[in-house]
Amino acid sequence: MKALDYLNRAIVVLSTIALVFAACVLTYSVVLRYFTSIATDWTDEMAVFLLIGTTFLSAAWVHSQRGHIGIEALSAILPPHIDRWRRLVVDILSAAFCAFFSWKSWTLLYEAWDEGYVSATAWAPPLWIPYSLMAVGMTLLTLQIFVQAFRPSFRPS
Amino acid sequence: MSTFDIGLLYGGFTLLVMFSGMPIAFALGLVATVFMVFFMPAASLDTVTQNVYEEMSAITLLSIPLFILKGAAIGRSPAGRDLYSALHVWMGRVPGGLGIANIFACAIFAAMAGSSPATCSAIGSAGIPEMRKRGYPPGFAAGLIAAGGTLGILLPPSITMILYAVASEQSLGKLFLAGIGPALLLVLFFAGYASWRYRHEARKAHTVHTGGGISSALLDRETFTLSQKVAALPRVLPFVLLLTGVMVALYGGFATPSETAGLGALLALILIAIIYKTWRPSQFQPIMINTIRESTMLMLIIGMSLFYSYVMSYLHISQSVAEWVVAQHLSRWVLLATILVLVIVLGFFLPPVSIILMTAPIILPPLRAAGFDLIWFGVVMTIVMEMGLIHPPVGLNLFVIKNIAPDIPLADVITGVLPFVVLMALAIVVLCFLPEIALWLPEKVIASTR
Repeated sequence: MKALDYLNRAIVVLSTIALVFAACVLTYSVVLRYFTSIATDWTDEMAVFLLIGTTFLSAAWVHSQRGHIGIEALSAILPPHIDRWRRLVVDILSAAFCAFFSWKSWTLLYEAWDEGYVSATAWAPPLWIPYSLMAVGMTLLTLQIFVQAFRPSFRPS
Repeated sequence: MSTFDIGLLYGGFTLLVMFSGMPIAFALGLVATVFMVFFMPAASLDTVTQNVYEEMSAITLLSIPLFILKGAAIGRSPAGRDLYSALHVWMGRVPGGLGIANIFACAIFAAMAGSSPATCSAIGSAGIPEMRKRGYPPGFAAGLIAAGGTLGILLPPSITMILYAVASEQSLGKLFLAGIGPALLLVLFFAGYASWRYRHEARKAHTVHTGGGISSALLDRETFTLSQKVAALPRVLPFVLLLTGVMVALYGGFATPSETAGLGALLALILIAIIYKTWRPSQFQPIMINTIRESTMLMLIIGMSLFYSYVMSYLHISQSVAEWVVAQHLSRWVLLATILVLVIVLGFFLPPVSIILMTAPIILPPLRAAGFDLIWFGVVMTIVMEMGLIHPPVGLNLFVIKNIAPDIPLADVITGVLPFVVLMALAIVVLCFLPEIALWLPEKVIASTR
């Protein structure tokens, strides 16, 4: 599963750029408003797309770091061999939910692409852009959960 | 099935899934989806993702990753250490000044970084060793830093407050301002306690010393020259300027809260690049990795909490519970106390983000009906969340302290922290009698800009 690892690293770099870029876009909006009277209705939305994209795309990488927190009280109480089963069930259920969510994201993306949905603002960017980031991100997350569930030794760098 | 039964089932199923150890974000999404399958029209399943997207795609919410970026940039730089040593030098003469300097450093740093754990580790890693070297009891030193760090969620920009503003549909600008007075009150309480405790310890040490025992480091006096004091300033001032600049941009009407987040993050990155030469990819990378990890984790919990609340309200659970609470005709203060106890108990298990989004639709209508100001309640609820950060079993800050000072036993840290939990509870009581401490500033500022 080296491929997934490399992909995740690439996504971290991409997310870094997106975050800094979002900060720049919002700053630009403040500066522009101060010095000119040009309306910047697109900046907020651009930042939303960048930040939504970062959130969903990096979800798989965060999971690879076991970064999605949960209530871990049981793992301290249960004997190790039962706890291993608990973890497996939890991972399978998590993956099932994420798979369902990914599936619905793809159908939403298809709908948005097919019918040409745009955002309800003056700038009106097409909505397939954020939807596709959500669909890809959730699919990667599903994959990642599966990989980690069945390969407990899998510890990416 | 009646709404009551569905509600019980929803609550019970949530508890079961959460305690299974499933990541909170997936657990909330799973519970909401399962109830959609059984109790909502089939077509609603098709709109799950659109729902989550629309709930999340508010720029106010999405400013959170940028606030985290700003916090990570400042938190990872040596700014905390510098701020701490500057305050230490300046407060040298005050009795218990070292402890007070630590609290001030926590408050200022928390306001710059906006994160409790970051504040604890930035100020604590310099402050705890210094306090111990000067003879402060380790538990007290640890408790002081853990408590000081919580000020981060009460001072703007606070992520907890952003979520409360979204959930309660209150003005974020007002809420930010409303946190400042109570935060100062807490600083005063903490500083007062630190000073009293120092004198108490010093008296004890003095008795031991005059009785022929060993002299404690607590009795040594430190003095700093004026040039030392002046030399401490240049590295701290830029960050204080950043803090005030961002506030001026926000309240002067130059920037929206989300734009403030972008501006603050960019300025923080530029400042640490100039002052601490943190611009190489290898130095830059840990900041970004921390930011992405924390913000993605939070944003997914937020998105799924909103989805969870949506299902809860579609099934009329939140409304029914809220109506039921109103129908009990509890007296105002009993109602408030009950709700706060509920929030405290939830705080044993859940992070503030999910508590606020999950409970807001249930607890806010009865509070509004009882005549409580929702901005005021936002501040009170935030203080309760602060307590959750330092009381066991989750107490995030306790674990941060455990990391930076591993040799202090956890039991000492917990006993050290308890007086501060009591002080926070006291602050809530004071706020009940004097709500103006929170509400005066927003009324003054918002009225004058209008």
